[in-house]
Amino acid sequence: MIRVEHLFKVFGDEPERALPMLEEGRSKADIREETGLTVGVNDVSFELEPGEVFVIMGLSGSGKSTLLRCINRLIEPLSGKVMLTTDEGEIDVTALNDAELRELRRERMSMVFQGFGLFPHRTVLDNVAFGQEVRGSPREERHRVAREMLNIVGLEGWGDSKPNELSGGMQQRVGLARALATQANVLLMDEPFSALDPLIKVNMQNELLRIQGELHRTILFITHDLDEALRIGTRVAIMDDGEIVQIGTPEEIIVEPRTEYVADFVEHADPTGVITARTVAVPVPGQRFEESGEEDGTTYYRRTGYPDVSYGMRDGRFVDMRVDGEPVEAIRLDDALKEETPEIRRRDAVLLCGPRATLKQVLRGRTYSRLPQVVVDSDDRVLGVISENELVHGILYKRANEEAAVAHVGDAPATARR
Amino acid sequence: MTTFLNVFDTYTVPLDQWVQAGVDWLSINARGFFQAIKWPVEQVLDGIEMLLQVVPPTIMLVLIALLAWRTVGWKMGLFALAAMGLVGFTGMWELTMTTLSMVLAAVVFCVVVGVPLGIVAARSDTFASGIRPVLDVMQTTPAFVYLVPVVMLFGIGTVAGVLATIVFALPPIIRLTNLGIRQVEPEAVEAAVAFGSSPSQILFKVQMPLAMPTIMAGLNQTIMLSLSMVVIAALIGAGGLGTPVFRGLNSLNVGLAAVGGLGIVLLAIVLDRITQGLSENT
Repeated sequence: MIRVEHLFKVFGDEPERALPMLEEGRSKADIREETGLTVGVNDVSFELEPGEVFVIMGLSGSGKSTLLRCINRLIEPLSGKVMLTTDEGEIDVTALNDAELRELRRERMSMVFQGFGLFPHRTVLDNVAFGQEVRGSPREERHRVAREMLNIVGLEGWGDSKPNELSGGMQQRVGLARALATQANVLLMDEPFSALDPLIKVNMQNELLRIQGELHRTILFITHDLDEALRIGTRVAIMDDGEIVQIGTPEEIIVEPRTEYVADFVEHADPTGVITARTVAVPVPGQRFEESGEEDGTTYYRRTGYPDVSYGMRDGRFVDMRVDGEPVEAIRLDDALKEETPEIRRRDAVLLCGPRATLKQVLRGRTYSRLPQVVVDSDDRVLGVISENELVHGILYKRANEEAAVAHVGDAPATARR
Repeated sequence: MTTFLNVFDTYTVPLDQWVQAGVDWLSINARGFFQAIKWPVEQVLDGIEMLLQVVPPTIMLVLIALLAWRTVGWKMGLFALAAMGLVGFTGMWELTMTTLSMVLAAVVFCVVVGVPLGIVAARSDTFASGIRPVLDVMQTTPAFVYLVPVVMLFGIGTVAGVLATIVFALPPIIRLTNLGIRQVEPEAVEAAVAFGSSPSQILFKVQMPLAMPTIMAGLNQTIMLSLSMVVIAALIGAGGLGTPVFRGLNSLNVGLAAVGGLGIVLLAIVLDRITQGLSENT
């Protein structure tokens, strides 16, 4: 959808001077001292798939907002290319003239701002209709679309208010509606929820995901909040000092931070909503399991050192689980989580969870039954087992063993979460 | 020794002669240019004055009171009715209307010239820093000093008085238009750009509306400055409420000066409150 190739942005007089120095591998501090130039974006390349929420996460000063503004050229990049795929072929955004650029901003890319960027003198409705007004669409038409967008963001009936009569969260809903109303396929979001209270922030993240599920835009989302990035991102790029240091699914970022910098970040993140059952599960059969018997074509395995519990499998599919030789009831994790009645909790049953169940769900299942959980795919093929050990590892975001890591990286595409 | 202690005795720069020569030269050689400037001012002034004089005083009084009521509130409406009534009953109505028409004519030209200059200043730092000393000079030069070159270039009378007033009252509207546009929330402007606005759309849909309260404050100051200058312009025969004040001054007629002065003060208060009300409504 969008392809960014070797993008550079340097602030200061005659910024070209910095390029050869960067090529030589000189540090940014070095360049700053020698030339007074500030490197904002340093050789960034990445690609957005249609319909994904691509999050760029970095601290203030990491160049993430500059990078975002280079994409719709609110800031002129120094060199590099931004290519946008449209139904009429590919557009080189960096080569557009002023009129073409306005056209692009009106039709193909819209934006949401950290401080909302609303127009205080206009009603909410006219704020939302702004993009179409600029484009010259007639009043009736743009108000109709604007009202529709207000309904989508949950602000039905607020059209005649002024923005300052609304709370922060509601104002950003207006900002979002304004960006959606232009029907642009690409949404650039510059820390849209950073100015909001934590509770409202989570609320808005869920709203965004809900709306995205309805409208399927392609979203480039900037944030300094790793938890936010992990929660809403299809993929996450970590940016540090003008460079992207890692791109991956939220789970990949948590489980395999590629640099010290990313690892430091991940240290403080809450992994339970991101790490999936498949990642932490110990494979069965595998080196930690031994065969304990066979009955009617079903092979039983038990974990080395844990003789009480055995897992029965036939052709790789789950058959039953036995505790001290007695079969126990098998319940789907999803069904268990739906039940609310306290008395059926803590009974001895084996929970079957899907490979994409999050650690958080597995932990909640744990309050239901204390037996290990079995991870099965949609065909009931056993992918592994999660017991106490794996949960602890998961919370500390380590893989259960190397074998699992190989299996996971081998068969999971980069966009596994979608 | 004495020349050392007072170096100014050694030489006097003939600045007065230079200025004199310059203005003389202009008045002879650029006569057509200055007449051309005078023409539109005269037309506008005549139009406004005719309008104000043609409406019967009672109706005009009610109209002013209504305007004050609508823009500020019923208290101000009553005050305007009483104040302008007092002006009328002291025999100053006609002179007040002349003064008002001069103020309005001057303000029209200040807005027509000042707002665009303010917009240009807001867009160009070079222009803004270039125009600033000019505005400083225009504002700090004593009002009387304007009158001499104005008389030489434009002659005497009401039109010349209005021209002097325009020059004197122009700076605040330029300054505050510039300031108002520069103070617009940068994120609002950025949002307008990000949604594909053209430069004129940014100006008229975002910057000007958001700068309007500040521009209106500039308009208020311009009106107040116009009023003070219009009175002084009576010195060059501009007519209006300045006339009784100067006649009173010349003949030591305190009563006459007081009546004229009261008219000026009351008109100033009414105009000030109405324009402030306008700026709060925007």
